[in-house]
Amino acid sequence: MIQPLKRYPDESINVNSGPVRSFKDSYKDMVQDLIDTATEHNLEALSAVQIGYPYALFILKEDDGSYKAYANARIINQKEPFNSSEKCSYFFDIPITVKRFASLSIIYDDENGDMQTLKIEDKDKAAKFQRMVDFVFNTSLLDRLKPEQRDQAVKALAGKGHMPDLESCFCPTSSKKDYFISVIDKLLFFMFISLWLPLFNISKETLSGWYTYDKIATVSIIILLIGFFFYAQYEAKKYKQCTSCQIGNQIGIMIKRLVALIPFAIASYFIVNPN
Amino acid sequence: MARLIVMGGGVAGHTTATFAKKWLGNDHEVVVVTPNANWNWIPSNIWVGVGQMKKEDVVFPLAPVYKKAGIDYRQAKAVSIHPEGKEGSDKQFITIEYTGQGKEGQTEELEYDYLVNATGPKLNFDATPGLGDGNGQIGANTVSVCTADHAVHANSELRRIFEKAKTEKQKILVGTGHGMCTCQGAAFEYIFNIEHEARKAGVRDNLEFKWISNEAFLGDFGMGGLHMKVGGYVVSSKLFAESLYAERGVDWILGAHVNKVEEGKVHYEQLDGTMGEEEFDFAMLIPPFAGVGLKAYAKDGSDITDTIFAANGFMKVDADYTPKPYEEWKASDWPRKYQNPTYSNMFAAGIAFAPPHLISKPAKSPNGTPINPTPPRTGMPSGIIGKAVAHSVCDMIKNGENAHIHEISMAEMGAACVASAGKGVFDGTAAAMTVYPVVPDFEKYPGTGRDTDYTFGEIGLAGHWIKHILHYLFIYKAKLKPGWTLIPE
Repeated sequence: MIQPLKRYPDESINVNSGPVRSFKDSYKDMVQDLIDTATEHNLEALSAVQIGYPYALFILKEDDGSYKAYANARIINQKEPFNSSEKCSYFFDIPITVKRFASLSIIYDDENGDMQTLKIEDKDKAAKFQRMVDFVFNTSLLDRLKPEQRDQAVKALAGKGHMPDLESCFCPTSSKKDYFISVIDKLLFFMFISLWLPLFNISKETLSGWYTYDKIATVSIIILLIGFFFYAQYEAKKYKQCTSCQIGNQIGIMIKRLVALIPFAIASYFIVNPN
Repeated sequence: MARLIVMGGGVAGHTTATFAKKWLGNDHEVVVVTPNANWNWIPSNIWVGVGQMKKEDVVFPLAPVYKKAGIDYRQAKAVSIHPEGKEGSDKQFITIEYTGQGKEGQTEELEYDYLVNATGPKLNFDATPGLGDGNGQIGANTVSVCTADHAVHANSELRRIFEKAKTEKQKILVGTGHGMCTCQGAAFEYIFNIEHEARKAGVRDNLEFKWISNEAFLGDFGMGGLHMKVGGYVVSSKLFAESLYAERGVDWILGAHVNKVEEGKVHYEQLDGTMGEEEFDFAMLIPPFAGVGLKAYAKDGSDITDTIFAANGFMKVDADYTPKPYEEWKASDWPRKYQNPTYSNMFAAGIAFAPPHLISKPAKSPNGTPINPTPPRTGMPSGIIGKAVAHSVCDMIKNGENAHIHEISMAEMGAACVASAGKGVFDGTAAAMTVYPVVPDFEKYPGTGRDTDYTFGEIGLAGHWIKHILHYLFIYKAKLKPGWTLIPE
């Protein structure tokens, strides 16, 4: 029998599903309800909790188009993580990107209650399987998102904004703008070294060469700081949740380098300059 | 004057003996037989195992406490039960072998009117080749935190690993050492406390952490999982655990039966039939539990161990031990009185009673190896059962054999557990969990078998504070200091 599908924000799916203990008539009826409902809505997969049965059971569409039931499924091994863009009827088929594994080794109970094992190497099927196991464990696609992403997704589902994208929502652990700062710091370091050279018995030609370096470095650092500022602005727009991308942080980073550059450049003019 | 003998001085035995003595007064005799000189607050052993507590912080001598309470304390291990007496005497007795009090090795017969078996488990290290030394003790390949002495040794080994990790990569493996283990929570606590200490010691980057467990999913905790409240959201313990393990950089192997341990390597079989090996530099693997190996004899000297004890060595009580398929398991299968069905003056409390079946759904690998957590009966349930048994025995002594027997089923009992994930006044964390009932009742609570309003968890600094407070509170209670009876089990 076709059952009504639970849709967001119906919280009645937020239950830990109990194990399927009996594989008699009531189980068969439940599986048939899942198949009827999935067929009616042309779904690739459907968990029992999505139609109001709090049991560890779901169906997946197989390659031949038929549905197969998996009871008490557990993922024993998972490998090859990837970002999976998924849709789910509970969230009105709005795509949400979550981390999944492409290779699974699973156990489940068949229609007789006998434990079976299965290896899944197909990315798409593996992702669906993990999504269904998530439902069994009271975990929706939203729960797989990080808190900031989840808040953004909740707003999007309420019609206020866009769904988060794993690639674009978060401050990356390393940013390309850091390369600018890395080069600036190295240039400043050698400027600092050059300030000590007159203390040693170094020829006028060598000092002249170092003074030239200091002049080039000073100009380069100013250019790099300007480049840093604009690239950082670009990243701030790209990574919306990035706290380190805030303009205050960027200006702070620039001021710190300028505070070093200005005295170094002045000192170089008076100390390193051979003329 | 009646004599109650309590075999075992752990949470269940100590609770039974102390409450029984309080209620019976000096009109009757309470004897405790335990091979240990000290009482050990086992939940804090994990902190000894990472050097955050000393052994002295988690143990105290039993003799002065029992002397103060008026309990006859025998530092000895129980060897056999003779519930019908012997030739020429109908008086029931147990035989004991002293392990202390200057009588080491001496044996003695102790007559009883009532007997409570609260021996706890035998740490069955030898069930896994290489985990034990072949003589029932832990082997040299791994460490343990099951006893305070084990934990002291574990910490010394851990410090050696931390020292090495200053210059080279080291691998830490923690979990269960057999497919039929319980106490996953202790291993969970230990791995995260090591990780916490490694960060404090500045060696985290050189340490690789791996969790190996007989659980079929992370967050099962041997009880089928629960809800957790994390950051304002309610999530399953599976998602919570997966997030925590990922956040703390701990990889995992699930549904695993460790079938062999070698120096620096474990061999395991998984529920999907996969065979694997895992190398390690430091491993703490919880052993499976078994009964302590008590024997029982009839009046004519014939062996009646099978009558009194189940095959796993735990004492049979008023449970339904009829073999039946998983779908027919019921809450009513579980014991309510903890009374031996053959000898009504014998009880079992805590881990010592034989559970009728597992709590988790039984599972076997394609090779036929059973891999699933066994029922947890430690901590809070042990104390509650111990107190109920003390009530029953006292009533029987005072009112005769037909007195009311107190009932408390694990299928009607809630339990709380606080699992530490790192010790520190300001940076500690612990997951505080409550489960109701401990044994799922699928008839009363269709679906998970549990009341989801009371099966709940939350992780945070407050959890750590609670665990630390409980440490002092329960040791205070066990020392029978003023007001100890007011502190719940």
